[in-house]
Amino acid sequence: MEIIKQNTKTVAKAVSVLRAGGLVIFPTETVYGIAADATNLKAIEKLNSYKKRPIGKSYSIAVSDIKMAEKYALLNNTAKNIYKEFLPGPVTVISQGKHKLAPGVESEAGTLGIRISSYPLVNQIVTVLGRPITATSANASYMRRPYKISDIVGNISKKQKDLVDLIIDVGKLPRHEPSTVIDTTIDNPAVLRQGDIKFNNENEILSTSEENTQNIAKELFQKHERFVGKRPIIFALIGEMGTGKTQFTKGLGKVLGVKEEIVSPTFNLVLEYGKLIHIDAWRLQSTEKLKTLGFLKMIEDKNMIIAIEWADRVIKEIKNQREHVLIIWVKIKYGKGINERFINWGVI
Amino acid sequence: MKILSIDTSCDETSVAITEGTKVISNIIWSQASQHASFGGVMPSLAQRLHRERIDWVINRALLNCKLQIENCDRIAVTVGPGLAIALEVGISKAKELALKYNKPLIPINHIEGHLLSPLANKSHISLPAFGLVVSGGNTQLILIEKIGKYKVLAQTVDDALGEALDKGARLLGLGYPGGATLEKFTRVGNPKAYSLPVPLLDDKIRNRFSYSGLKTAMFRLVEKEKPLTKEKIHNLAASFQGVAFKHVENVLSYHINHLPLTINHLLLGGGVANNNQLRKNLRKLLKSHGITLHTPYSKKLCGDNAAMIGIVAYLKNKNTKNINAKLEDIDRVPNAKV
Repeated sequence: MEIIKQNTKTVAKAVSVLRAGGLVIFPTETVYGIAADATNLKAIEKLNSYKKRPIGKSYSIAVSDIKMAEKYALLNNTAKNIYKEFLPGPVTVISQGKHKLAPGVESEAGTLGIRISSYPLVNQIVTVLGRPITATSANASYMRRPYKISDIVGNISKKQKDLVDLIIDVGKLPRHEPSTVIDTTIDNPAVLRQGDIKFNNENEILSTSEENTQNIAKELFQKHERFVGKRPIIFALIGEMGTGKTQFTKGLGKVLGVKEEIVSPTFNLVLEYGKLIHIDAWRLQSTEKLKTLGFLKMIEDKNMIIAIEWADRVIKEIKNQREHVLIIWVKIKYGKGINERFINWGVI
Repeated sequence: MKILSIDTSCDETSVAITEGTKVISNIIWSQASQHASFGGVMPSLAQRLHRERIDWVINRALLNCKLQIENCDRIAVTVGPGLAIALEVGISKAKELALKYNKPLIPINHIEGHLLSPLANKSHISLPAFGLVVSGGNTQLILIEKIGKYKVLAQTVDDALGEALDKGARLLGLGYPGGATLEKFTRVGNPKAYSLPVPLLDDKIRNRFSYSGLKTAMFRLVEKEKPLTKEKIHNLAASFQGVAFKHVENVLSYHINHLPLTINHLLLGGGVANNNQLRKNLRKLLKSHGITLHTPYSKKLCGDNAAMIGIVAYLKNKNTKNINAKLEDIDRVPNAKV
């Protein structure tokens, strides 16, 4: 372990250590970080033993610019806008990774946290190295955040010290908070193929209030009430945030005599009210995940009424069951006036 | 009395050791990134990850205070509310330990954990008191008549406060869950830059919170302001959060003025209790009524954690010599209420 001050040769020295698979402790705009070449498996394994990380935790990476970021991750529009407005700076943007880094850098779900540092030294190192480095704080897991080298050296074992090849010491860093993490992967659009869902334009109704939306739900249910007991009925709800998908479900609750308050299922994913089940598919990462919520078990009961918000994210799984269930697609769109919504429906 | 407690209601795997109301060890393994404190469960991985990690987290919690399970007097576990398959992992592990080490097992409600979390490291406060639980899954104003006896004064009819903040953040392109990010940006933004409608202003009985109207107004406003610049995002964030909190203050204020009781304390718990602006606003409001605000003593105790479960288990059973709950009767209660 060698400790150096910053001078004209620092960047070259750090890069040569990183190229050889070594670990470098370096200053950033937040805390002291520890760098490894994020494409080098040996280096990442070395970092794992230094951090004493249980397996399964991922590392954020630092890149030099958006071009390098796009080499390793898929940036959607949300991500691009954040890069434009907030980077370089203390913001980590999570995107879907392209699996081009050493295993263990991306999360188990294949997502990747990326930063562009506003601290010049970090950017110089990454630019000269030509590939990303890990951007994790230099403390071992569950130890305090390091603002000076003694915070680190005083808190690690000899074995850990031996794993570090180079320390760039610029003294005590000003106290800044850790970087802000923004997860953009939820905004990856659901892939809708043409013809996936058929709507009949004649079935379009204008709603002008929350109560109105609830009543439309009531009427739609009554129209299909004859199927209750013969097949489970699925209301597949599609619409932007705030269009009233939960309001629609409240209407179903009223007509079904549910006494409890029907609230948004975003947090819990599934809320059950007797024969009415309310699901939110927004945060489900793929269509099969509907099964992990017990969907197949739910539709075994032919009396069930199931409302699924963000159904466009799980279309395939819903359609797979169409022989066993009645599917009512309900699309809600914002209208012109603040409380206006266009509600469109179709049955498979 | 030492209690080992387990909470797997959501995406955190957490195990704690408490003694009385003192937290000796409180280990939380988060599946979300560290800032996504009230995002909710990811079912795809939840169950498997809880299973893989629970032993590690238990060992870590014991190691931290150099204790063995044999040294603990009781075991406590969250039975709900939460995602059923996630709850199950904690419950079956707790039963296994209770059987193996012959310890009584106490089932605990997660919301009650948040409700009483400000009592960690405290000896006593006078009751009745107000309790305000604000998290990603819950927004409840509760009258704590005594430990174990509660009356819900107001609760959400659509989104929970933490969820509303997360969704506001998402409308601003800050990802999901982005409530914590939103809060950071509010510090540099101007909360008066935009005017958004405070929810349910003409509500007569004030027994509910609602964020659906605010969400719609925010959607319209953001559409109008596009393309969003850094400065606009800061100001929109501050305006949105300001109105979301104002709603809570209004409901609370109504109940302070209308309850025919002398109340001197309010306990604030849940992930959003970490928000400094909310604390500041509440403190100001409560001060004018002579009410003291109590918050959990650390950030860790605001989010989902097992220590709060241990504290409830202690407070509810400190005078009970024999815990008679039968293991086979303890089961998950995904829709549990306080």
